[in-house]
Amino acid sequence: MQLPANNHRLNPISFLESWFASGVQIFGHTIILLFATTKLILTGKIDWREVSRQSYMIGVKSFAVVGITALFTGFAMSLQIARELVLFGADTSIGGVVSLALIREIGPITAGVTLAGRVGSAIAAELTTMNITEQIDALEVMRIDPVEFLVVPRYLAGLFMMPVLSIYAMSIGLIAGINIAHSAANLPMATFLDSVKQTILDRDFTVHFIKAFINATIVIMFSCSIGLSTRGGAEDVGIATTRAIVWTMTMIFVFNYIVTALTYAPR
Amino acid sequence: MSSIAPQPVTRHPEPIIKVVDLKKSFSEREVLKGVSFEVFAGETLGIIGPSGCGKSTILRLLCGLLQPDGGQIIKTSDNIGLVFQSSALLNSLTVRQNLALPLRLQHLSRKEQERRIQEGLKLVGLAEYIDSYPSQLSGGQQKRTSFARAIVGNPKIILYDEPTTGLDPVMSTIIEDYMIQLEAQLHAASIVVTHQYSTWTRTADRVVMLHAGKVVWEGKPPEAEGSNNPYIRQFAHATREGPMLSNSV
Ligand SMILES: Nc1ncnc2c1ncn2[C@@H]1O[C@H](COP(=O)(O)OP(=O)(O)OP(=O)(O)O)[C@@H](O)[C@H]1O
Ligand SMILES: [Mg+2]
Repeated sequence: MQLPANNHRLNPISFLESWFASGVQIFGHTIILLFATTKLILTGKIDWREVSRQSYMIGVKSFAVVGITALFTGFAMSLQIARELVLFGADTSIGGVVSLALIREIGPITAGVTLAGRVGSAIAAELTTMNITEQIDALEVMRIDPVEFLVVPRYLAGLFMMPVLSIYAMSIGLIAGINIAHSAANLPMATFLDSVKQTILDRDFTVHFIKAFINATIVIMFSCSIGLSTRGGAEDVGIATTRAIVWTMTMIFVFNYIVTALTYAPR
Repeated sequence: MSSIAPQPVTRHPEPIIKVVDLKKSFSEREVLKGVSFEVFAGETLGIIGPSGCGKSTILRLLCGLLQPDGGQIIKTSDNIGLVFQSSALLNSLTVRQNLALPLRLQHLSRKEQERRIQEGLKLVGLAEYIDSYPSQLSGGQQKRTSFARAIVGNPKIILYDEPTTGLDPVMSTIIEDYMIQLEAQLHAASIVVTHQYSTWTRTADRVVMLHAGKVVWEGKPPEAEGSNNPYIRQFAHATREGPMLSNSV
């Protein structure tokens, strides 16, 4: 498949048309790729050494960035929450509210978006470069399935590492919350953690992991499908990278809300 | 010329590759307008012609990387080795890992695989680069690695896209010698696409010349120079006088 070039004239209708067409194409290609990848995984076509190498690249190397992002998001959010709750004299529930926000929304989103920026863009750039320099063609001539060889290990690595990173982001956010509660609201750590324990349910963990798996699927599948379907010259690497970041980030926010709406909407 | 290599011209009744009336266009531009040829086992076909006339496109069609718009391609084997014009080594893998790729399907023992890789690399004089990455090799070394990768799996069909371009004269001769040796050894059907005069005159048993999407000459290399065909004459003598204008393609 080849994506249409964005060489439309400054005509709003044709702009919308080509924008919509390439959107449908990317989405469709990604769904097909997801099915192909799942089928290969279910039939055991897995190179575990490559999976562990990718887990290192995708996961381990992301810990610093995810940690910093989660820490400062945690600081800012806890500060706001602590401030309002103290006004209402509800400082003992700071822990509960902060941890709810973290486990249900902020943890998965922070890890997902950070990975989209760090890993999604890198995968799209790498695969596009491989496409342009005929490396993917070379695989096909050697009768090696590029999906099995390139996508399966990255997807499995994403599925393993994303939940770990999400839980990690949540924990770092919690540490930030404990700090803020202590310094801004003078709340002891024990009170904070008590409130956390009373508020968080098993279901919150389930939803947390569902979101992590969905985010992994979005980041890896969109960036792989965009990378594998972009051809042309060197400038297309940049285009593919941008495209991958835009698509993965947008989809993470959209699907995050869909899961939230399906699981937490008041009935 | 034919004295250089012992060429077994034992023609099998069925060709390994048979191309009939092949047509291919890229967005309205008709690159191949009906090209036909056959290649038999143990034979090397040279494809020559001006830059941009569709030689690489034919090779890409033959290994299924492109689909033809018309005509037929019949091949009796899917075990194809292709030396890409651009080398196309996998950048994230070492030379050893690159050479292991075509062997994946053959389920060899680790020892046998290693032996084949070492042997392939020795052939192209790159044994000490086995653990290097492609980015640490020169262009010519990458080309030679690509050559080793294409033949390490003992393919039944070998396609060479400019195998000697960018190599020094000595290495070119070594690669040509090796192509001649392989032809007899593997009994494969080979196609060599090249601009280098010595390469097609030495390695090809037959040559087809393409121009403007058609075969304009077919013959044996020694016949090229003395031929009355204006295209091959101009090409073999590298002159400006003739039907091909340098800016027409
Ligand atoms: N994927 C493609 N999309 C559009 N046009 C293409 C594509 N591949 C090849 N072409 C066009 O087809 C023509 C033939 O290309 P090809 O690479 O086969 O030439 P060639 O004979 O191998 O030339 P050279 O000797 O310079 O390598 C060129 O004009 C090229 O622009
Ligand atoms: Mg070419």
